[in-house]
Amino acid sequence: MRGILMKIFREAWLATLLFSIAFLIVEILLNMILPLLLEQMGDMLDRLPFIKDFLGALLGIELEGEITAQIMQAFVWVHPVVLTLLWAHEIIFCTRFPAGEIDRGTIDILLGLPVSRRQVYFAHTIGWLASGLVIFGFGTIGYTLGSIDMPTENRPAFMSIIRVLMNLFCVYIAVGGLAFLCSSMCERRGKAIAIIFGLVLCSFLINFLAQFWPPAEPFAVLSVLNYYQPAIILKSGSLVFGDIAILLAVGVVGWTLGLEITARRSICTT
Amino acid sequence: MSDDIRDNLHVLEPQPDSSILMPVIETRQLGKQYGPRVGIERVDLSVAEGEIFGFLGPNGAGKSTTIRLLLGFLKPTQGDALVFGHDSWKQSHILKREVGYLPGDVRLYPWLTVRRALSFVGAARGADLMDAGLALAERLSLEPDLIARKMSRGMRQKLAIIMVLAHAPRLIILDEPTSGLDPLVQLSLAQELRDRADKGSTVFFSSHTLNEVEQLCDRVAIVREGRIVADETLDDMRKKARRKVTIRFTDGEAVRGLDPPEFLTLIKREGDRWHAELDGEAGRLMQWLAGQSIRDLTIGPPDLETLFHAHYRTSEGTL
Repeated sequence: MRGILMKIFREAWLATLLFSIAFLIVEILLNMILPLLLEQMGDMLDRLPFIKDFLGALLGIELEGEITAQIMQAFVWVHPVVLTLLWAHEIIFCTRFPAGEIDRGTIDILLGLPVSRRQVYFAHTIGWLASGLVIFGFGTIGYTLGSIDMPTENRPAFMSIIRVLMNLFCVYIAVGGLAFLCSSMCERRGKAIAIIFGLVLCSFLINFLAQFWPPAEPFAVLSVLNYYQPAIILKSGSLVFGDIAILLAVGVVGWTLGLEITARRSICTT
Repeated sequence: MSDDIRDNLHVLEPQPDSSILMPVIETRQLGKQYGPRVGIERVDLSVAEGEIFGFLGPNGAGKSTTIRLLLGFLKPTQGDALVFGHDSWKQSHILKREVGYLPGDVRLYPWLTVRRALSFVGAARGADLMDAGLALAERLSLEPDLIARKMSRGMRQKLAIIMVLAHAPRLIILDEPTSGLDPLVQLSLAQELRDRADKGSTVFFSSHTLNEVEQLCDRVAIVREGRIVADETLDDMRKKARRKVTIRFTDGEAVRGLDPPEFLTLIKREGDRWHAELDGEAGRLMQWLAGQSIRDLTIGPPDLETLFHAHYRTSEGTL
């Protein structure tokens, strides 16, 4: 497996580094923008009251009364750019095997080596999780750097931030598991990417719409973002373990199905 | 216990003594359907250790499908395949320890150089392949630090050959390996394969070109429309193949009413000359000619080309 891990590292380090740096920069920028946003929030809500609904939809909670600075901290963890960066990285990563290798025809060389498909799948899983930890690490550093000047009273407790990150990492696992599943069923990487991208886009839209469009509400449970609630974590200071369990279950089921399909399917590049 | 662990335990189990006599490759009624389309069907093959086995057939005949079944890339829909006595679907990662496989239309990672490839393959195989691989690169005249994305097709083919042969596999499976190689490198490769076979390696050589199979292989199987239509040694094939014969008799008038023997098919009479095709070896002809008065005789080599074309031909026409 060492050889396969070496190959994955060689092929993925640059993309991982670029996504990590992008995540770091985005976190710094969002933290810098946040105080300005808070200053103008009152005026903005008076002039455009529907902004509150949009903000609530984005944060996944109903905003009542005054919007506190601490709740607004959740904004930097649910911003679409943040989610797009994380999802883009893992969709690219998790569709590398088997769909990507079949697509570029290199699977013949890879599976000509004395490694089982399960070992290759495990190696890619290790790479995906390790690169995820790197990206989350960079994001956390970005958040820390960006919030240096933040007044102490506005700053959420460190453990609350860790809990938000844990919740976000569970979303990362859920989407990654589904991406592995899509990859295992496809011969073309583009198709696998399109399917999983469609799924996360739908997930985002359902979760957003369900906040202020009643017909979409029953479908909200199908969205992975329904189980990602940084605003509630920051407000209460505790994790919602039901959400964590559902996200992990989705990820593990998707990943396991992908593993079994990959191990049992016929692989043909011609 | 996971399949991987179970499979790894299996390889540690002592193999029966009869494995020494066991063929390196054995397929029994092997078949693969792609939906309604037949990939191969009822393929029975047996390849012995040290043999250079040619697998000949036109494009789309089922050569690559057979190879993919042997390596466990495809799951058979019928029958089974054993390589070194291991089931090629269930234990493919075990049998590949002893196998070097060169795919047809090889695609390489663009970042590979000879050194990187040897490091990658060596790590995957748990062996240091650097010295052996660099020696091969020198023999094939391939620069060790040239990156694959800047290589020509032939160079990439050479790099793939190095990756396949560097660990001195006991079984070498090559799927149309000479495509893209210049004639000199083709000769080097053929010599390399002969040397490996002399040392006990088995070579499974797939091709659609008769010439290279004829020059290299001990035995040939011909596959057509997914079925094996011939499986013989080249010597046996040569015995069966027709030879072009030209006989010049001393007296043209005397042979006008002469009928050829049953093993000689007369193509054309031209005065005192016969242009004919001889079935089998020349001994019988020589015996028959001993009773005739001839001035000159030309016997061509066995015409394998015609024999192979006859195998390739379908009821509707040539493939």
